Amino acid sequence: METEARTVDNKEKECSLLVIVLDTNPSQQIIRRDSHHVTQILDSICAFSNAHLMQRPQNKLAVLDCHHHGTEFLYPTPGRPLDIRQVDGQYEVFTLVEKTIKQKLAQIISDAPKMSGPCESLLAGSIAMALSYITRLERNRPLGTRINARILVVTGSNECASQYMTYMNVFFTAQKQNIVLDVCALDKSLTLLQQGCDITGGQYLRLPQLEGLLQYLLWVFLPDPETRLKLVLPPPVKVDYRAACFCHRELIDIGYVCSVCFTVFKSPPPIAGKPKKKKVRQM
Amino acid sequence: MAEKDTKSLKSILQKPVKLECKDLYEYLKTRSADVLERLYDYPTICLAVYRELPEIARQFVIRILFVEQPVPQAVIASWSSQIYVKEHTAATAILGDLGVWRSAAIPGGLPAWELSATFKRNLKIALLGGGRPWTMVNVLDTDSKARDIAFLDNYAMSRWRCVLHYMVGGATKGPDGETISPDAVRILLNANLMKRDENDGGPVITRQGFQFLLLDTQAQVWHFMLQYLDTCEQRGMSLPECLSMMFQLSFSTLGRDYSSEGLSNTLLSFLQHLREFGLVYQRKRKAGRFYPTRLALNITNKNSVAISDDDTQHDKGHIVVETNYRVYAYTDSSLQVALLGLFTELLYRFPNLVVGVLTRDSVRQALRGGITADQIISYLEQHAHPNMLLHEHSIKSKSPLPPTVVDQIKLWENERNRFTFTEGVAYNQFLSQSDFITLRDYAQSINVLIWQNERNRTMVVTKNGHDDVKKFWKRYQKGGS
Repeated sequence: METEARTVDNKEKECSLLVIVLDTNPSQQIIRRDSHHVTQILDSICAFSNAHLMQRPQNKLAVLDCHHHGTEFLYPTPGRPLDIRQVDGQYEVFTLVEKTIKQKLAQIISDAPKMSGPCESLLAGSIAMALSYITRLERNRPLGTRINARILVVTGSNECASQYMTYMNVFFTAQKQNIVLDVCALDKSLTLLQQGCDITGGQYLRLPQLEGLLQYLLWVFLPDPETRLKLVLPPPVKVDYRAACFCHRELIDIGYVCSVCFTVFKSPPPIAGKPKKKKVRQM
Repeated sequence: MAEKDTKSLKSILQKPVKLECKDLYEYLKTRSADVLERLYDYPTICLAVYRELPEIARQFVIRILFVEQPVPQAVIASWSSQIYVKEHTAATAILGDLGVWRSAAIPGGLPAWELSATFKRNLKIALLGGGRPWTMVNVLDTDSKARDIAFLDNYAMSRWRCVLHYMVGGATKGPDGETISPDAVRILLNANLMKRDENDGGPVITRQGFQFLLLDTQAQVWHFMLQYLDTCEQRGMSLPECLSMMFQLSFSTLGRDYSSEGLSNTLLSFLQHLREFGLVYQRKRKAGRFYPTRLALNITNKNSVAISDDDTQHDKGHIVVETNYRVYAYTDSSLQVALLGLFTELLYRFPNLVVGVLTRDSVRQALRGGITADQIISYLEQHAHPNMLLHEHSIKSKSPLPPTVVDQIKLWENERNRFTFTEGVAYNQFLSQSDFITLRDYAQSINVLIWQNERNRTMVVTKNGHDDVKKFWKRYQKGGS
């Protein structure tokens, strides 16, 4: 009986931190098709963030923007928060979140350097930034409280196997820190990020249509990991665990693995400059 | 001799009345559906009620918030996994009790749930915007004499302590020479936290009052405000307005001023009362602005731990508990000393320090007064001195108190639960063994037998079963012998 009371007490003292990584790279297909999609996605993300903050007063939020030239924080911004008064019936905190996100994103887009051609989104770096933020908050928390953190990646980019190493680093770090990684794929199916969700125990969802973004977010990604056990959610997808070779960044089925440092190669590498012992291992 | 026995027996049997602290859900459950409809017309109340719902219920509500038509109950039942069916039924019951959703029928005959339209509309307004701004947010020019958060904290705690001092000290004045208004006294009397003394007619604290004093500040404020709201209808103030105002305050930002223009007269007098209890600060009665204090924020949330980047520690703890059961309290406030004296034996008193010891007798005396071991422990934890948090054992566990002391207090409480009392009727002095056996078996068969001893031919039967057994005995006597 005592342990029950304690668990209820602890649940109240827990704070649920949601970090959203939003991909606003202009090279994405969905944005190139119709730039109004950005507004739509942004509105849905704002509503979803506010819904998260609405759940409990202890819940916290951070939003990162992954642009083609770097990652920036949309919320909370460094320095003093905006002085917001209510203009309508919306709760003050929600208005602050919305206004801050929109203002900062507008500033980022207008300040962004010109793009020479389509380029990849640096999502792995954004996830790393999110992890650092979470670690800093964990370090500064008051005694006796717990922070449950999760990262939600919303992206319409294609698969980029060139960031394979960084992705793996980031996934295993998140797993060690008990941070859950969720992914909402707006356009194409993303195998690498799927692996990340599988490793950390998060949810992966590929949207059938963009119009229902908010509803999908609310249904699948709003409950925190503990509550997800009590609800019925889309079952985990079969994950493609093929590794990418280090020389050409291609996903391979059969390859060569160095027995010293475990680097994966598509074809036997030249001896010079690489560890001597090589062993062929089927994947 | 016999009288004294029965009196002492009665005092053991009668459990002392416990302080009942309702949370928001229990408070709203007691209101009628009509009142709830009026309450849900305010976005703040919808938001506060939403936050009070259990986890699964919140997920259900947000899922159907944007759905226009009623949703079949079977569909909602399919949303929660099979293992947690009990939680699902509890959540649906709570949502029904609070009037958040209602049964509706859809074509096809399936029973369905539908969110109450007012609740849906106003929750959407609170979440997404639209509608009118809440009452207290008219545009203000900057305050020339703005108050910072530290000042507000001091003000709030000093006002609230006045109320607590009054409870402990009776009609004597508090440390600053201030006393509380007759209105507040009436609320305390109404809430059964104080009662009129028979001898001199002055108010004196009750057992529930002592339990109230041991709660943490947020719980105290919430309980007190609930009692106040119970009496507000009698004063002619409308309950939805006052409740909405209170929730608006709880959702405001600390350190910011809000305008009091446009508030109705009842709300202005409500504001004055809040000013007296320390929930808001106003420089003058006629000033057009006020500052909510920390007491008003998150008033319904009993366990809000502010994980903000600014950690302003208001009310540092002052009690050190040692493993030899000694309690050192670095305080000079008579209120804190009186509270400690409830469950410890005070040994020494210095200008800045009070030394006491937790003995079996002192703790039992508190337990007899209706205070529970958990209340004592939580009071000591709340007011633990910051140095206690640096001890090794407290870093590993969550509690800053020595585990021996905590366990011993709980054991002393359990000592009082060694007996379970059941009222019954004793049958003895049977003439023959067979009579006894027949009667005992009969009592056993109708499940009213509590205890029996074949050697002494005594048996005890419950009070309710006594009549049946008597009737059977009479029949048996007439029939048998």
